[in-house]
Amino acid sequence: MSKSEVAQIRPKSIGTSIPRREDPGLLTGRARYIADIVLPDMLHIAILRSPVAHGRIRHIDTAAARAMPGVELVWTGQDSKARCQGIASTLEQKGFVATIQPLLAHDEICFVGEGIAVVVAHSRAQAEDALARIEADIEELPVVTDAAAAIDTDDLANAAVPANMVYRSNRVTDPVEEAFASAAISVEGCFHTPRVNASPMETRGFVARHEWTTGTLTCWSATQMPSFIKTMIAIFLQFPEHNLEVITPAVGGGFGQKAHLHPEELLTCLLSIELGRPVSWIEDRQENLFRAPQAKQQINDMALAVDDQGRFLALRDRVITDSGAYNSLPWTPLVEGHAGILVVTDPYRIAALSAESLSVTTNKCPIGAYRGVGFSAPTLAREVLIDRAARQLGLSPFEIRRRNVIRQEDFPYQTRAGMMIREGTFLETVDRLEAMVGYEDFRKRQQEAFREGRLLGLGVSIFSEVSGIGTRALNFLDFPLTSHDTATVRVEPTGKVTVTTGIVTSGQGHPTTLAQIAADAFGVPMEDVTILAGSTHHAVGFGTVASRSAVFGAGTIGRAAEIVRGRMRAVAARLLQAAPDDIEMTGGMVHVRDDPGRTMPFAAVAGAAYFAEATHPDDFDPALEATAAFDPSDIVLANGGHAVIVEIDMETCLARVEKMYAVEDCGRMINPMIVEGQIRGGMAQGVGMILLEELVHDERGQLITSTFQDYLLPTSLDIPDIEISHLETPSPLVPGGIKGMGESAMISTPAAVAGAVNDALACLGVAIEQFPASPQRIFEALSKVGVMDRGNNFPV
Amino acid sequence: MRRADEDQRLDVVATVNGRERRFSVLPRLSLADTLREELGLYGVRTGCEHGVCGACTILVDELPVRSCLMLGVQANGKTIRTVESLAEGSSLHPLQEAFRRHHALQCGFCTAGILATSQALLAENPCPTREEVREVLSGNICRCTGYQTIVDAIMDYAENGQAGVAGGERGPAE
Repeated sequence: MSKSEVAQIRPKSIGTSIPRREDPGLLTGRARYIADIVLPDMLHIAILRSPVAHGRIRHIDTAAARAMPGVELVWTGQDSKARCQGIASTLEQKGFVATIQPLLAHDEICFVGEGIAVVVAHSRAQAEDALARIEADIEELPVVTDAAAAIDTDDLANAAVPANMVYRSNRVTDPVEEAFASAAISVEGCFHTPRVNASPMETRGFVARHEWTTGTLTCWSATQMPSFIKTMIAIFLQFPEHNLEVITPAVGGGFGQKAHLHPEELLTCLLSIELGRPVSWIEDRQENLFRAPQAKQQINDMALAVDDQGRFLALRDRVITDSGAYNSLPWTPLVEGHAGILVVTDPYRIAALSAESLSVTTNKCPIGAYRGVGFSAPTLAREVLIDRAARQLGLSPFEIRRRNVIRQEDFPYQTRAGMMIREGTFLETVDRLEAMVGYEDFRKRQQEAFREGRLLGLGVSIFSEVSGIGTRALNFLDFPLTSHDTATVRVEPTGKVTVTTGIVTSGQGHPTTLAQIAADAFGVPMEDVTILAGSTHHAVGFGTVASRSAVFGAGTIGRAAEIVRGRMRAVAARLLQAAPDDIEMTGGMVHVRDDPGRTMPFAAVAGAAYFAEATHPDDFDPALEATAAFDPSDIVLANGGHAVIVEIDMETCLARVEKMYAVEDCGRMINPMIVEGQIRGGMAQGVGMILLEELVHDERGQLITSTFQDYLLPTSLDIPDIEISHLETPSPLVPGGIKGMGESAMISTPAAVAGAVNDALACLGVAIEQFPASPQRIFEALSKVGVMDRGNNFPV
Repeated sequence: MRRADEDQRLDVVATVNGRERRFSVLPRLSLADTLREELGLYGVRTGCEHGVCGACTILVDELPVRSCLMLGVQANGKTIRTVESLAEGSSLHPLQEAFRRHHALQCGFCTAGILATSQALLAENPCPTREEVREVLSGNICRCTGYQTIVDAIMDYAENGQAGVAGGERGPAE
């Protein structure tokens, strides 16, 4: 299968911490983000959003808004519906319930923040002025906010979803009763992970410019998935795709939130077509917290059976995903629990698994992808239970994991969910993490602190990560989609290299790391390589999601380079009078293997291919430009582990992270500095999810955390310095042995933070299973066991 | 006292990045939007417009302020510095170089605000401890980096100042 061919790349630039080439623009205010796109005659959008969680629109009066100064147009849902039904989102799964999310609600409103009218005006301020003049008459309907209760109620959150059930899956249903009956101990818990918002510092935005004279539609989108957006615009708006271009400017963080098709994007296109002028939609922070895809809200009812030696016998998980009112596109709510249960056992040998996933509709903003997606929640439940089992058996958290991780001699190991694990460093990770933490010393320190009235806790998490996600991985995760990317490489007449790719960055460093890959693919210095990205005119691809860009970058650039290199080798073979197979390219030179004297500049070979026909072999194809696709032949699994130490203040019940450790094995690292930046950033987000962040809805479905004053993100005082160690197990399926890792920390750090809180409280007989572990939740848990009543005196 | 209608543009004179600028703005326009829309200084970022995230932080009379919580008309008579003033010609300021060398930015959206806070900190306290840097930075939210490398960069600049190594692509690889 040629799309999975692994091209040869000799790491030279790969593996070095080269400073990023995109930094000068970002450091000087010169980079242009979506809100900086200004076009002649451009108009601005503001959207009226529903104040109720569930209702039926009786009437909307827009006459006063239309008369406001600067207003060019006001639409309600009836206007948008006449042009586009909405975003249909389904998956080819038996029993999956598709939803169609209207661009603006026109009949049933399903969550607070859903758009119900739009104003286009000369400025955003004028558009907002007009919003205040729109009168909406809405009949309120019963509200469904609790996913666990939604299964049993007759009230529907969305009339299109019978019994509030989008999809129920149970692919692995091993009989586990016997294992639990025979187990020395079983540990169980019901873990609630919070509904969170990825909260990139830059909100979402989109600019559209339709030119009726040429029939072209040019879109600027702060998206992680430009090709996908382009095709969806073509399908949903029935717009000829070849006349569409999606341009991605600098993007101020995405983290999955910008890996969706947003209703506002289609709406902006329609408005530009309608008005014949460029139209800009830049949401504010409140809109982002109300309406941007939310994430992570799962209830994992999990149990683990363990024998008297600490060996895992069976795992049982029943997970409910609080899916919100519609299916996001392309991920649907299956991105949470459904995907999570298929990898829940991964780093460990667990012979029996019984897992069920329910995706349940509620009157909330649709759930979508956020870094680590549905892997974070079950990983948290599992790792906290493993710590609990270790405590019950008197084993260290490292020792119990050592006894259960998949080892060298187990490869290839097939998990009960069906994943074949071929390589990795699970045991080495446990050992290295233990040494970094200084486990024995920590326990002494913990005891001393306890005597001083301070609670310290250590949490450990070992993970594996399905990275470089392509068709194979998507199929394994029960997302039956085909995906591949392409890249084009061109060797210019002067020997410089131009690469065009569909991979876009939202801060992960692709302009630098892809240049490192391309430089090594041709054996040229990095300054001779340029990366063109950010326009769908360049290349196609699924986008930057699912820790896939390093893998697909190496795969696509490697394969395209190999085609061009073959042609250059043919010319060089004639010029150097050698066999093409003996021609090598390194250091900007082309030479004959084992004969350093026979050499010529890379640029001279390129020049000959372009301008000197006499040097061409017979039937030579002189095109030094080629496009190739890539899709890995199997799952590319990365792995690692995290350890976190927290201290809980007994007076304030505030949990503070004291120290964090990470071990990462993402195969061969392209740029260790960038890998470490990804780890640190992900770990900070993990701390946020477990100690600080929560989108809170009241019983009427009102979102009561709609600013950064209520929705707390980690600051420089919440995140300590982080110690990182690397292991490198190359993937044989990817050029250079590269694996992905962008999501690793958000898969595993939440588990380590949650474990640390539980370890700190275990000595008081207290467990926290609902997150974030806010001071209030810790206070309530301590109050239940009477600790707070004793005037902060420890039961020593 | 001058009174103005809400749709009446008011004249403002301010020194912006070393140059005297005259412009007129609606009284309701924030200073952040004024700098972006009237003066084309798009390096000023707005992340929340509630004064929480700090992405819009600039220097007004050398003090760090939230430009989303100041009105454009309040710039009258003030001296303003934005991120665009930091590099000289086409070479980065040593503080910017330190940020690049330490990988203190990823998406770059918070960077301008953090540079402004850092400049103000270093002007007041040229030799801060890591803890002092973390304390002062706590009003600037970064969602990408985990903060540590930002502290590293500021400490490096504070300790080595102008002697900071220029980081080129073939520069200080590990």
